[in-house]
Amino acid sequence: MTTDYLERGALSGLVGGLGYGLFQATVGNSFIAGLERFESGHSHGGGPVVDGFTTAAVSVGGGVLWGLLFGIAIFGVGYYFLEPALPGRDATRRLVLAAAGFLTVSGAPWLVLPPQPPGVEQALATETRLALYAGMMVVGAVVAATCVLAYRRTATRHTAVTALATGLPLAMLAVLVALAPERTVTGPVPATLTAAFRWTVVFGQVGLWATMAVVHTWLGEPELPTVEAEFQATAD
Amino acid sequence: MQAEKDTVRHRVDIATSGLSGTQMMLGVALVAALGFTLLFVQDPMVHDSMHNFRHGAGVTCH
Repeated sequence: MTTDYLERGALSGLVGGLGYGLFQATVGNSFIAGLERFESGHSHGGGPVVDGFTTAAVSVGGGVLWGLLFGIAIFGVGYYFLEPALPGRDATRRLVLAAAGFLTVSGAPWLVLPPQPPGVEQALATETRLALYAGMMVVGAVVAATCVLAYRRTATRHTAVTALATGLPLAMLAVLVALAPERTVTGPVPATLTAAFRWTVVFGQVGLWATMAVVHTWLGEPELPTVEAEFQATAD
Repeated sequence: MQAEKDTVRHRVDIATSGLSGTQMMLGVALVAALGFTLLFVQDPMVHDSMHNFRHGAGVTCH
């Protein structure tokens, strides 16, 4: 059954999620608590409705589920369908898939809407930002797919040609970012600290994707069923 | 693995022959529900509980 793929995807997502939850517990929670000290009045009005411990605990749990979600969706379902199309073998395939996943879920949208520390006021309405974010996710997926296709088409050519063709779709992102509407943000956090926070978020997500790719590689190749075997399995 | 026949199209054939429509819809619904809860639910209690996670993961929440 295809469950062999799903199990491996879920397991790598769980391990990645546990690692990311640990990152959230040790770095994320305290970093955000520190950044909140810059806020004079909490922007949500009347302060948070849950206590700090709940927020910390649920956020760690959210991190674990975050990994599990990507593990099932990308390394379970995604790897099952895309395995024949991914270039290279073993770890290369997983790292390509992880890079494509990161670009789609976080990388491309962040170019337009970078991660913000708490207390930031954004000029654009929430709905507009959600639409922009979703749009950039589609762009990220298209760019990642184009990179892989360009690599496959030029793999037999000179290395420089392959590298140029594979990297070229990424330049498309820069054009789109320049075309995106003005996104003014005002916040109490100093610019250098905001930059440090953003890079912490970036490395956190990159770490999550890398962990999932490594664990998935380590689990080995799932067994692929044949069409006939699937009919047998469901006939019983 | 059958190298010459293994394409994305082939994978889709295996999946559609082995899984019923209900199974597929159930899978998609579960993943969608989890994603929606983590990213978009703005209910004050959920929002504030998830606050650190959403900022930490760079989710555009509020």
